[in-house]
Amino acid sequence: MKILIPLKQVPDSTVRVSVAADGKSIKTEGVTWSISPYDEYAIEMALERKDADASTVVAVVTVGPARSRDALRQALAMGCDEASLVVAEETAAPLAVARALAKVVEEAKPDLVLCGKQASDDDQGFIGPALAEVLGWAHVATITKIVPADGAAELWREVEGGHEVWKAKLPALATVHKSEKEPRYPSLPGIMKAKKKEIPERAFASLNVDSSAPALEIVAMEPPPARGAGKILKDGDAKQTAQQLATLLRDEAKVL
Amino acid sequence: MAMTAIETGFDLTLTEEQELARKTAHDFAAEKVLPRAAEIDEQAKIPRELIAEMGALGFMGAYVPEQYGGAGLDVLSYTLIVEEINRACASTGVALCSHVSLAVDPILHHGSDEQKARYLPALASGERIGCFALSEPASGSDAAAMRTGATRQGDSWILNGTKNFITNGSIADVAIVFAQTDPTERHKGIAAFIVETKTPGFSVGKLEKKLGIRGSDTAQLVFQDCRVPAANLLGEVGEGLRIALSTLDGGRISIAAQAVGIARACLEDSLAYAKQREAFGKRIADFQAIQWMLADMATEIDAARLLTWRAAAAKDAGEDHILAAAEAKLFASDVAVRAARDCVQIFGGYGYLKDFPAERHYRDAKITEIYEGTSEIMKLVIAEEILKE
Ligand SMILES: Cc1cc2nc3c(=O)[nH]c(=O)nc-3n(C[C@H](O)[C@H](O)[C@H](O)COP(=O)(O)OP(=O)(O)OC[C@H]3O[C@@H](n4cnc5c(N)ncnc54)[C@H](O)[C@@H]3O)c2cc1C
Repeated sequence: MKILIPLKQVPDSTVRVSVAADGKSIKTEGVTWSISPYDEYAIEMALERKDADASTVVAVVTVGPARSRDALRQALAMGCDEASLVVAEETAAPLAVARALAKVVEEAKPDLVLCGKQASDDDQGFIGPALAEVLGWAHVATITKIVPADGAAELWREVEGGHEVWKAKLPALATVHKSEKEPRYPSLPGIMKAKKKEIPERAFASLNVDSSAPALEIVAMEPPPARGAGKILKDGDAKQTAQQLATLLRDEAKVL
Repeated sequence: MAMTAIETGFDLTLTEEQELARKTAHDFAAEKVLPRAAEIDEQAKIPRELIAEMGALGFMGAYVPEQYGGAGLDVLSYTLIVEEINRACASTGVALCSHVSLAVDPILHHGSDEQKARYLPALASGERIGCFALSEPASGSDAAAMRTGATRQGDSWILNGTKNFITNGSIADVAIVFAQTDPTERHKGIAAFIVETKTPGFSVGKLEKKLGIRGSDTAQLVFQDCRVPAANLLGEVGEGLRIALSTLDGGRISIAAQAVGIARACLEDSLAYAKQREAFGKRIADFQAIQWMLADMATEIDAARLLTWRAAAAKDAGEDHILAAAEAKLFASDVAVRAARDCVQIFGGYGYLKDFPAERHYRDAKITEIYEGTSEIMKLVIAEEILKE
């Protein structure tokens, strides 16, 4: 089975992002970049398939600025077999990104495309379903497990109180909610193996994708309002404190 | 004087692999080691699976060539890993340092092809653990005064004596042991041996109770007619002291990196605390007295790291690194001790409590001025290097 994972490089979850001077984007100076966490789950899920069946080929691709190469190198170091980069220094419209990825998918001919269910920078969750739509492939959202089943795949999803099992004929696309295990760290031998691999790159423009897409524009970005200091109730016994708490929750916080 | 191993200009940018190695170690340390650091200190024990995980990630053989089952990175990458692990837990950090720098390294540099093929793969994968046994109850800084003896008997050497203060001593499978083959020859009689700890006649004596790095085991090793095959002689008879000293030159780079890691823990914990603790209606980070301590810590840590990287780069380039390693260890250990003192001070009364990490850093930092050559011995080494023609 060949699995392709389109991934996105995003600011690391430990980075405190701040709004840039234009008021519409985030400051990128000094930011540590990482693979988006749900994409890491997708990689781990694919690598668990590869652990179970060594003939599995796991490829990753990203559409993004040149610095995204680091994210691809990390994916290779985790154990992925192939990586390729579509360089787009300017942010392309999401639908155009999906179309560019569709071209890559058509060339690479994977049996399964796994996308993180959303990228942790803008949390739109757009690319997975849009890519399935452009390809005309079956799409199952937010899966937690894959079980191969003769020309098809069982795709497991967690639902309230249990799980659902869907069966999709391959090729298919799924978005990943979580892998069974936490994503593996790139091991040092993995890093050295990855070093020896080429990461072919091409320009976004060279894919000639139709870039007509409904226009989206970020109008403004604001940090959430600073949280005020908390209040500690310390006068009185337990009963009085509970009464004060109930009053405050009703009159001040207005949650009761 | 060769001051840098970097021949083409002055470039401190890490390579892609070095950066990835650092990131793996950083993430592993933050997620798997740091949450257990207080427990490791309290229980005076490193969970074996933590060492196994470091093995699986390739840390235990970071710069062992791939041909011997290692990851094939460079010493600089290893230094980055050591800093990250020690940032989280100095006990786990020294278990790694002693294994790689003091047990794996001498086999890699002084072992025969047969010894390398036989011992390196299992050590590099962390399946087996190594230790370095030089110090004795009556000889530390003056290592050449060792009393442990080795006498040749047919195809074997018979070892008798006691080694003291041996890091990883009770958990090791393989020990690099130094012994005197002829007391009248003093250092010319010293030999190094690769001793499997399951060998009859080898036993672990008492485990030391310590001020800091309490999770790391420090054991007494006892040799009673311990029969070691002649094939396990490392190098030649008479080369033992040279092997010990050159191994320690490399080891000091890892202890410098350990000190940088501990100092960084002090700085990072101090920054977080100073930003949220309030006194007199302000964050304590807004007091200049606190800011000066933080500024000194940050500056000294950067300087210590640069010295450490320079020494690592010299070792990678195959250059003489005696001076660079001694300077890095002398300076970085001093920085760690000072940073730990200021960290406790910034935490105030909470710095004195076990509930906060500051007191652990304070206890852990001190050892970096003692083992693998005390600060006084570092100055002796440095003076000897700069005074020689
Ligand atoms: C936790 C721990 C782990 C250790 N791990 C290992 C290990 O894995 N393997 C191993 O072989 N050893 C190990 N050691 C031993 C360590 O390397 C020695 O303790 C150290 O080298 C100092 O030796 P000593 O304790 O005998 O002190 P001494 O040599 O007795 O020194 C006492 C004091 O005298 C000073 N001094 C000595 N000689 C001179 C001189 N010529 N000029 C000026 N001052 C001098 C010293 O600096 C020190 O201040 C460990 C020690 C500890 C505490």
